[in-house]
Amino acid sequence: MQFGSRRRSRVLQIAVAASVLALTAGCSSGLASGASADSGDGPIKFGMLAPFSGSESAFGAYMQNGAQLAVDEINEAGGVLGRQIELVVEDDACDATTAVSGANKLVTEGIVASVGGYCSGATLPTLPIFDEAGIPMVIPAANSNELVDQGLPGVFLINGTGDQQAAAAVQYAEQIGAKKVAVIDDATSYSADLADAFTAQATEAGLAVDVTATVTPGENDYSAVATQLASAKPEIVYWTGYYQEGGLIARQSADAGFEGVLMVADGSVDAKFAEIAGTGYTENVVGTFTQTPDMIEGADAWIADYTDLAGDAPGPYSTQSYDAVRVMAQAIDDAGSTEFDAVVGGLEDLTDFDTFAGPLTFTPDHTLSGGGFVIVSIDPASGVFVLEDDLQG
Amino acid sequence: MQLIWNGLIVGSFYALVALGYSMVYGIIKLLNFAHGDIYMLGAFVGFFTLSAFGISNETSIPLLLVILLLSMVTTGLIGVGIERIAYRPLRKSPRLAVLITAIGVSFTLEYGVRQIFGPNPEAFPIRLESAGFDIAGVRVTASQIVLVVIAAALMLVLAHIVERTRQGRAMRAIALDPQGAQLMGVNVNRVIAIVFFIGSSLAGAAGVMAGAYYGSIDFLMGFIIGLKAFTAAVIGGIGNLYGAMLGGLLLGLLESFGAAWFGGEWRDVFAFAFLILFLTFKPTGLLGARVVERM
Repeated sequence: MQFGSRRRSRVLQIAVAASVLALTAGCSSGLASGASADSGDGPIKFGMLAPFSGSESAFGAYMQNGAQLAVDEINEAGGVLGRQIELVVEDDACDATTAVSGANKLVTEGIVASVGGYCSGATLPTLPIFDEAGIPMVIPAANSNELVDQGLPGVFLINGTGDQQAAAAVQYAEQIGAKKVAVIDDATSYSADLADAFTAQATEAGLAVDVTATVTPGENDYSAVATQLASAKPEIVYWTGYYQEGGLIARQSADAGFEGVLMVADGSVDAKFAEIAGTGYTENVVGTFTQTPDMIEGADAWIADYTDLAGDAPGPYSTQSYDAVRVMAQAIDDAGSTEFDAVVGGLEDLTDFDTFAGPLTFTPDHTLSGGGFVIVSIDPASGVFVLEDDLQG
Repeated sequence: MQLIWNGLIVGSFYALVALGYSMVYGIIKLLNFAHGDIYMLGAFVGFFTLSAFGISNETSIPLLLVILLLSMVTTGLIGVGIERIAYRPLRKSPRLAVLITAIGVSFTLEYGVRQIFGPNPEAFPIRLESAGFDIAGVRVTASQIVLVVIAAALMLVLAHIVERTRQGRAMRAIALDPQGAQLMGVNVNRVIAIVFFIGSSLAGAAGVMAGAYYGSIDFLMGFIIGLKAFTAAVIGGIGNLYGAMLGGLLLGLLESFGAAWFGGEWRDVFAFAFLILFLTFKPTGLLGARVVERM
């Protein structure tokens, strides 16, 4: 409640300031439409922060095109509250500093909702910015538990969280009959979080977590951890970082004599993983991953639409970004307003909304009730990750 | 034993890069912070050449040697070019100006490569066959042996040049007293250019070897190794060639043991803690000569 009242007074201040500005400078209502978004005319702006440069830059286009497809579809069907939606994207480079300036830029551009966020470490510092500006967020890809642990009212995750991914990892470890497991993280927010969740859940499931190690990302030599794995001989090791280090660890640990299964988390599920690891180093690699369009039955028509729009096949987080826009638009439509409290209410009230990851209802923590994680493995011919086990049976 | 071997592998990379650091410092008292990026350039020159010929997933050692030589020549020339453009005009300026220029060169190289090749890591087209086998309880791979042999050969050649040739004598003379050397008829500019050529080509060689050994290259790969090589040069005694070799191997070993005892996340802390310890208690390093002024 305190949040709400403080927000409204701030909105009022900005609106007053903006109208003064508009009067004195005679400029258009660019600022004012951001602060008091329900002026009722012009398009409703959805903002999206995604990585378009840096090590994760491949994902930015997948997310933007997925979201744009949803925007186009909604606009064609008449828009939201009788207004068109406009998607505004900014680069976060998977970097906290860039993300913060991108978020501020989106706020000044007058977005009423945020549907972006890929790297948890870059998304986390943008939460207070959007919160202060009274902008609800449906985050399509970033999934660190820290995002919702702060209990900010406007933050919703539609990708499974670290806890849910760890649950899938533990389930698979039990399925292959592992008794001894290991976990390695790269000290980033997402990775450490997932490693902690995995350790906790594996211990609970009665598995022995023999090795817990942390490596420094961006280096080339991981022989220390490779040697550790080779001597501790866990049956399965869970790598929770990104693909560049993951590929190196796959190779170096096999060279060091490690023969168990290397399971990687969603940040490592990328075709570059196999290229970096090299031929012959990927047979024992599996990954925990959210479903991508090509793994979902009956998504052919959607894939065709996407390819029409983007000129390229959809990739990871295309569907989640598409769903993020739809979820947000539905909530605004239900609420009948773009006002913060109303939209949050609309999001909380969604029941069994149809998404690629299954019917969506938010938990009181603003996360998904079901995770939607599957197990993928590397196809030796093409080096890309393909569905191995959907963990349903 | 395994730890020692792992340490020697990493250490030989550090040693090759540290040599260039140390030579340049020895001769013109400049910490060339762009040196780590020459290492990165070496890897990318190899990547570019091989990709241009459509080669990928190759494992041949002769081809690696050809690429190694090509990269060494290219990075050597780039090193000379950098010295000519960025450092020579500033040779009479305060040291801080040159140091800042070096950092500028470093950024230019990093983000120049990023402009050309993009920000994503690339897979290096030559991979050394790395089936492992055990010798006396130590896991050794064929690629590691190739690596150590090449590194050792390069260092021997370097030692020969510095100790036994006219140019080497000129280098040592300039390191001792630049003005005196010039008065004795040594062409200082030329010798400095040669030093940059040799130092840069060693870093370029290390870059190609890192590409072939680890398999992944990216535009920031030179940053950390540049700092580590600097640390190695300081430990060995900056300005001293054998010090740089010794410092590189020693740092590799220190890291290997540090990571095993304290965990991988402490590896860099351990390495840089030694840098601070050495700078505090023995700034001349293990083999360094006493120097009055130091940056």
